[in-house]
Amino acid sequence: MDALFSSLVKDFVDESKPIAEEVAGRILDLERAWAAGADGRAFLRPIRSGLHTLKGNSAMMGLHPIERVAHALEDVCARAGEIPPSELAGEAQILLDGCDLLLGLIQSAPTCEADEGRAAAFVERVTAALKAQRSAAAASAAHPAAAHASAAAAAAAEEAGGSARIEDREVDELLELNGETIVGQTELVRLHARLARGQFESSDVVLMDQVLTEIGRTTRQMRHRLLRVRLAPIGTLFRRFGRYVRDLARDRGQPIELAIEGGETAIDRAIIVRLYEPLVHIVRNAVAHGIEPRDARVAAGKPAQACIRLGARLHEGRVRVSVADDGRGLDMQAIAAKAEAQGFDSAALGERDMQRLIFQAGFSTAASVTNLAGRGVGLDVVASVVQSLGGSIDVYSTSGQGTVFTLDLPVTVSLQKALIFGVDSETFAVPAGFILDTMQSGEKDMQVVNRVLLVSWRDDFVRAADAGRLLGCQGLAQAWTRPYAVVLQAGNKRGALLVDWLSGVQEIVVKPLDDLFAHCRMVAGATVLGQGRVVPILDCLEVVRRTHHTLAPERPAPLAAEENFHVL
Amino acid sequence: MSSESALTDDLAQRRSGKHAAFLAFAEALLRASRGEQDPAAADQRQFVTFVVRDLELGIPVMQCREVIRVSALTRIPEAPAHVRGVVNLRGRILPVVDMRRCLGFEALQPTSRTRLVVVEAAGRFFALLVDRVLHILKLGSADIAPAAPDGLSPLAGSACTGRAAAGDATVHLIDVERVLATVARGKKPLESEKA
Repeated sequence: MDALFSSLVKDFVDESKPIAEEVAGRILDLERAWAAGADGRAFLRPIRSGLHTLKGNSAMMGLHPIERVAHALEDVCARAGEIPPSELAGEAQILLDGCDLLLGLIQSAPTCEADEGRAAAFVERVTAALKAQRSAAAASAAHPAAAHASAAAAAAAEEAGGSARIEDREVDELLELNGETIVGQTELVRLHARLARGQFESSDVVLMDQVLTEIGRTTRQMRHRLLRVRLAPIGTLFRRFGRYVRDLARDRGQPIELAIEGGETAIDRAIIVRLYEPLVHIVRNAVAHGIEPRDARVAAGKPAQACIRLGARLHEGRVRVSVADDGRGLDMQAIAAKAEAQGFDSAALGERDMQRLIFQAGFSTAASVTNLAGRGVGLDVVASVVQSLGGSIDVYSTSGQGTVFTLDLPVTVSLQKALIFGVDSETFAVPAGFILDTMQSGEKDMQVVNRVLLVSWRDDFVRAADAGRLLGCQGLAQAWTRPYAVVLQAGNKRGALLVDWLSGVQEIVVKPLDDLFAHCRMVAGATVLGQGRVVPILDCLEVVRRTHHTLAPERPAPLAAEENFHVL
Repeated sequence: MSSESALTDDLAQRRSGKHAAFLAFAEALLRASRGEQDPAAADQRQFVTFVVRDLELGIPVMQCREVIRVSALTRIPEAPAHVRGVVNLRGRILPVVDMRRCLGFEALQPTSRTRLVVVEAAGRFFALLVDRVLHILKLGSADIAPAAPDGLSPLAGSACTGRAAAGDATVHLIDVERVLATVARGKKPLESEKA
């Protein structure tokens, strides 16, 4: 495929995917309207116009399978508009399946893998269904939710390497800011020339100050604008759950409504992509554990239709995503029993802390393994993913009224707050979200028990590792000569790094590393500090895990004369 | 089209004039605009040559972005042995690949002549750490002999696409992408101490 055509196809995908997703959302609305006995004509119109656009676009690109599927779906819509809702059977399912197929075909358009066979089979199915309307219902009866979920996950993965749409106006604004920066830079060049000739005047200092302020302002604004290009409304993610919840509800034979709030909240596309799996997990949990069977709901005086709310809003410069259900709430007795079994003193824990135990590994309380829950992949994994995005997760449950999960996330992953530390003449950064504490530490705070190095921290002991040894630095200093400890918490594990010096928490720009470093599990990326120095950013999940697998060297008898020559 | 042919005629008349060099350049531009190639240069390829231990190597000039001095190099924990770390090139973070290690020698200890050759391969940028950079070599296809991998390590041999004589020395022409593909596949780093 030549370059021009492939760029056209890319444009086609960028343009068509949102349309197809929109159509899919409308079909769900339509299905709901039909189920309620309404005629749904208001929803049919936008569906038909969306399909028509898709048909036209794909025909223009010569992507005939897409064109044919869109055309067949238009036929279904046309037919559905002619007959009363009571005579409908299976049309909504055909439309949904067709829309899934369309999305798949659009997705695979750039690789030219458009599946002629599947498209043809679908068109045949539609033709058959239109001929013998009744038989269509049986043909489309069982489509497990899982199949759709995996398709959506693939779509999410696809999006990771996606492209951003940028308005002409935004480009103009960026160019303008860039122009202002260049003006400032030219001014600096002039001032530099005067300085070099020795003609510098004291008023020039003031001028330089102004220019630097101006350049600082424009570059910051430029950065701000560019970051906005990375953002997308979180609603694109939420809307995928419309179909997922519908399928889960159908599998359970119980109506579940999905309500979306704050879908316009903007968040980094990189976060959207990584958030899909955790949200699927939470939503699945809500349906499996939270929502009671219909009879139990009615008995408890609740509406038979359960509700799951996906919400997002800006809160103190961060995005707060919530998943709420109106089910029975967490099973506190089961959690208490599990806690006792795992050696927690459940009596000493408060209500909220007890609830938070569900984020610990091995805390699944599902009594039986169903296709929905209890497969051992727990909320601890969800918590780890959220944490690796620089966020945190919390749960709040009220017995009999429901459970709310809140995810506190940064707006973008490319800017993070991090602590800079040094060990053996090397410098590293640790994302601030993982840091529990930093402290001065000395030999007296450390113990070696069975070659396990422990450092005392707040009436407790934390597994510790010498940062120099762990990170492979070329120093000779021993763990107990390091003057500082950084206590980290990742997932449900704690670990301390023993380091030579600490500098304050600062905002850093996260840059990814080349794939050559894919094996470097302890490093999550790099950032550039003053004077262009590159500093690795540690992956705390891995670092903390390693602190639990590192053996302390045999400790020699303490020497009175030993000096802490690595102190600052 | 007519104005273009008039220009060519005009050029032909003045070819021997004192602006010959400029005219040759203009002609080249004109040819380039028509998508033609200079008959003499069509066969010529340029290579950047550099030294790795005692080997002279050359890479196509098109793959080479620039040559820079070794600045502050940041080690990345657990990186493969032939990757010395990363450097910052105008905000872009480049992996530094030690060519000595790539070719199966001991790691290079940087001196004042050590350079980083920035290359682009498969859309990624790398900085190759080399002993020193020599010059640019123009070679016609007749100057390039088949690869002679004897005397080279298997890795260097497999990346060798040909050789050419430059003075007394032999320059081994290597395919950067092939070297980096081997490196990128890489061995797993030595497992660090684990319980």
